[in-house]
Amino acid sequence: MKGIVFVKFNEFIEELWGIEFWDELLDDADLSSDGVYTTVGTYDDQELFSLITLIVEKKNISPKDAQFAFGKWVFKELYNIAPPGAHDFKDIFEFLHAVQNVIHVEVKKLNPDALLPEFEFLSETQNKLSFHYLSPRKLCFFCEGLVHGLAEHTGQEVKVYQSECEHEGDKRCVIVVEKV
Amino acid sequence: MCDSGRKSLTQDRDKYEKRIAVLERKVAREKKARNIAEHQLEKYSLEIYETNQSLKESLASAKKKQAELEYLANASNDVASEASLNELMLNTVALTGQFSAADCGFYLVTKEGRLQSNDSYKLWQKNKGWKNDPVLVKSASELLPLNKSISFDSWIVSPIDDVEIGIREGYKWITYTNFPMMNDRVAWIVFLSADDHLDVESLYVLETVRGHLLNGIRRRISDVRILKRTVQLQDTVSSLDVAKRQLVQSEKMASLGQLAAGVAHEINNPIAFVYSNTQVLKDYLEDFINLDKTIRKVLHDNKSLDEPLYESLCERMELSFLQDDSLSLVQTNLEGLHRVKEIVDNLKSFSHAGDGVFSNISIFDCVESALKIAWNSLKYEHQVDNQLSKDIPSILGNMGQLQQVFVNLFMNAAQAMEGGGTLTISQTLSAKTLTIQVSDDGCGMDEDTVNKLFTPFFTTKPVGIGTGLGLSISFAILEAHSAEIQVNSKIGQGTSFNLIFPLL
Repeated sequence: MKGIVFVKFNEFIEELWGIEFWDELLDDADLSSDGVYTTVGTYDDQELFSLITLIVEKKNISPKDAQFAFGKWVFKELYNIAPPGAHDFKDIFEFLHAVQNVIHVEVKKLNPDALLPEFEFLSETQNKLSFHYLSPRKLCFFCEGLVHGLAEHTGQEVKVYQSECEHEGDKRCVIVVEKV
Repeated sequence: MCDSGRKSLTQDRDKYEKRIAVLERKVAREKKARNIAEHQLEKYSLEIYETNQSLKESLASAKKKQAELEYLANASNDVASEASLNELMLNTVALTGQFSAADCGFYLVTKEGRLQSNDSYKLWQKNKGWKNDPVLVKSASELLPLNKSISFDSWIVSPIDDVEIGIREGYKWITYTNFPMMNDRVAWIVFLSADDHLDVESLYVLETVRGHLLNGIRRRISDVRILKRTVQLQDTVSSLDVAKRQLVQSEKMASLGQLAAGVAHEINNPIAFVYSNTQVLKDYLEDFINLDKTIRKVLHDNKSLDEPLYESLCERMELSFLQDDSLSLVQTNLEGLHRVKEIVDNLKSFSHAGDGVFSNISIFDCVESALKIAWNSLKYEHQVDNQLSKDIPSILGNMGQLQQVFVNLFMNAAQAMEGGGTLTISQTLSAKTLTIQVSDDGCGMDEDTVNKLFTPFFTTKPVGIGTGLGLSISFAILEAHSAEIQVNSKIGQGTSFNLIFPLL
């Protein structure tokens, strides 16, 4: 996983629970990177999952909520450092379509080895969009959080849920976005 | 300080120490992260530099490949073009010189090791083009193994020892090859280079072009040979044409020889009676002169001439008979002379070599005149049944040539009907063709003879009678008229020839 995710996760945790908590997490997690993250590096996915597991234990929250909260928070951070082409979209559906065709293309230019999720659009009406979320990391709740962050950015009110989810025993994850 | 105060201070100090420790660890992580990032940055910089170098190399390689391809394409175009051999060699020198970055180049032609005249010793120079430089070309050619009759199968590169020859321009390398040409000549392409090092890789490309050029030279040599052969063939065709005309004329004259006795007889008859009639007319004229003399004498003696006396003088001289017979004799003579004139005219048109020009002609007239020429061979023992109608459509042809064909057929028919028979000439008209059938009821021919009928020099006639060319020439004449000839023959029953002419 790209270092930007770890760096932003670090900032998120410190902003939420302070530097001591982050220090405590690193101490407990005993990671191979020792928590020394740079945005230009690439780190083991498992380090993020270990940190989330520790938070879930220490703060007594669900993994779903943890991923969701981080996704919602990190959207604006990623948006600010996103390539110029990513800033031209005003509508949430329009932006979601552009993720794969514009944003991921730009990301790949800078990070050719980045492993990015794929969206397979299933249906779309004026107010409702559903897409198949495909990623070996299975961070579908993180993705839901990102969509919420996006909605905050565009100023649209939305309802985001999964009609199918691998964590619930389904064969795939289908994320539905409804404009409210 | 009270215990609670001390305790509070201790707690604060622990708290601060703990926070400092956390911050120190954070700073340590940040420092480490910065070092990693800087290291990564250096790594990226190196990668970028290496990529840049690699791109530059690729670009240089691509440019080189492009130059090679351009050179190959231009050289191939030159080879495939219609340029002459000399132009091809000059273009190749300029193209190859430019591609191989030679300083100058030229081409020359040798025969048995000696230089042939070579376009005033033209020399190609880098960035300057062509100029005449016999001194340099001759000096450089001394470096070539001209007197060894070797044909190279690649380019030869040799270092130049500039002391060895009179070239004082710092050339270090000579690159050359040669190609065999026509008539034991050899073409040499030569380049001189002042560079310290030669690009060995470019020699591979030069090899490819050498192969193309060799093919181009071969093609041009073969073109020249084909052109020469074509000219020879055209000459042969012209000679054959002349020979054919001569042959046709010879055969015609041979036929004429056979006809001569008959024709002489044909002419002799009218001449004989014209001669005899003229003798009689001479006597009659003397009688008229005598009558005139008698009348003059009577007039002189009597000074007058009465009618009874004139009538008695006329009666004594049979003047009425003389007058009638003279007119009759003159008329007969005129007719006889007309016959002679006609025979001579026909012979003239028959024996005339002709210019082979086609015009609208009447087959009826043609057959009529041919019959007159062959008449003496037919009139004694044969009947001629000419069923041709005078108003059959005309065809495009040569009168003299077709006359020859018919005379030949009629003579053959007469000879086939030894002892008598009937020669029948008839016509069949269709929308596109006119068929003239010439039939006899003579001895006929077997299949073997029919098959050889149109073979030159084939004859069934005794030596001195036939040339064996008559029908083969007739066949050639009919072919030139786009006419078809068919033969039907049965032993003992006769032969018929169908001549099928296309209508206008």
